[in-house]
Amino acid sequence: MRAEGAIGFMGELTLDAVDIVNPDLYVQRGYPHAEWALLRREAPAYYYERPDVDPFWAITRHADIVNISRQPGLFKSIQRLFVAVNEPNSPPPDEAILRQLLNMNPPEHGAYRGVVNRRFTPRSVQQLTAGIERITTEVLDEIVGRDECDFVTEVSAKLPLAVIAEMFGIPRADWPLMFRLSNEMIGPSDPEYASAATITETVERARMEFFQYFSGLVEDRRKSPRDDLSSALANGQVNGEQLPIFELLSYFALLIIAGNETTRNATTGGLHAFIDNPDQWERLKRDPTLVPKAVEEILRWISPVIQFTRKATEDTEIAGQKIREGDEVALFYPSANRDESVFAAPNKFDIGRYPNHHIAFGIGEHFCLGANLARLELQVMFRQLAERVEAVALTGPIQRMRSCFVGGIKHMPVRIKVRARN
Amino acid sequence: MRVVVDHSLCEGNGRCVEVAGGIFELRDDDRSYVIEEQPPSSLRAKVELAVSLCPRQAIRIIED
Repeated sequence: MRAEGAIGFMGELTLDAVDIVNPDLYVQRGYPHAEWALLRREAPAYYYERPDVDPFWAITRHADIVNISRQPGLFKSIQRLFVAVNEPNSPPPDEAILRQLLNMNPPEHGAYRGVVNRRFTPRSVQQLTAGIERITTEVLDEIVGRDECDFVTEVSAKLPLAVIAEMFGIPRADWPLMFRLSNEMIGPSDPEYASAATITETVERARMEFFQYFSGLVEDRRKSPRDDLSSALANGQVNGEQLPIFELLSYFALLIIAGNETTRNATTGGLHAFIDNPDQWERLKRDPTLVPKAVEEILRWISPVIQFTRKATEDTEIAGQKIREGDEVALFYPSANRDESVFAAPNKFDIGRYPNHHIAFGIGEHFCLGANLARLELQVMFRQLAERVEAVALTGPIQRMRSCFVGGIKHMPVRIKVRARN
Repeated sequence: MRVVVDHSLCEGNGRCVEVAGGIFELRDDDRSYVIEEQPPSSLRAKVELAVSLCPRQAIRIIED
């Protein structure tokens, strides 16, 4: 996290200079909190019109994002999931790379969501606790006795990947494939993840590989169903019929990607926040009953999803601005989560904060399907970290993914001392 | 004040039970039910917190 408001304090930041959709800037500086604060203060619905971006309204206040999210009929979800500067050789924004929950609308969205949502309720997820504990213990055991490690690839990435892969019944040998393809789909413009010369080609190849793999799972689970997510999807129905193949394979891809990207980044970002705020780390170690609240504060602080877009279906008004039918809005969740009209001392990382009205999981129709699972994974992980990590410090800069959609952290080199579990 | 939960929206995320356990409960079908349909006005703050925390916006207050 860069110094809060560093640019603002120098008095140089103006609305014209605000840049919040350039992925290179996210790599260099992390989240543009100073820019978002300026927008919240001076132009909470800001018409962003630049030569290299398809125009959109940047929505930065908590109340407006909640208001828009509550009206999926007035503000519908579209193919283009997020706004970024136009780059050569990227897929056309209106092309359906996947057709899944994120770009569906009611009533279709609810019908599709209903295929698996019972598997993500608090009660269903609670039954996974022992498995999550076991995986977390194994992951941390592997760095016992080590001096240094890359916290992302060796810790944060492993738990959510293993959990979602086990839920799908995917054999361990194929987990690295799921990890690679998720990265390529989410970060195709990042040189570390690109598998081809162009963004379009990287996405296209990753999708084909995903689809091929999931087709095999579908075939197998239709022949011999098990009690796993793959079987629930393969044999699931919408309006009395099996899911069409494109929607079915897209659903697999969505859950695999969403299930391992965001929790990974919340875990990395959370530990990073504790390294930056040693008083809060000591507080957590002293009082582990704070873990659930600490996890909510990590979610608020890190907000792994940067933005989602919506399109207005009729003329309306947001924050005093006239929004016309067909206009696109981008909802910046990390900005809402630092809104000074909702959170006291929003730029303070306070693990005892309560109530914590963050919207890191969104709200309303598209509220994160996996929220309960993510919360449980983060709680188990931070409970064990607080119990077992005796010392931790950065040994180099963190490396961010090139994206203004998901706030990914690719690498975080740390010196870490983990105790063996008693 | 009357409290209702829209069961076509509710997914049993249970935030309402956390903040207003005497008014809502989660049942075996993974949905939240109102057990105190007309709570006294002294509990209004709790109900409003439940309304605002519900991720699916499934809770409504109907004024008498």
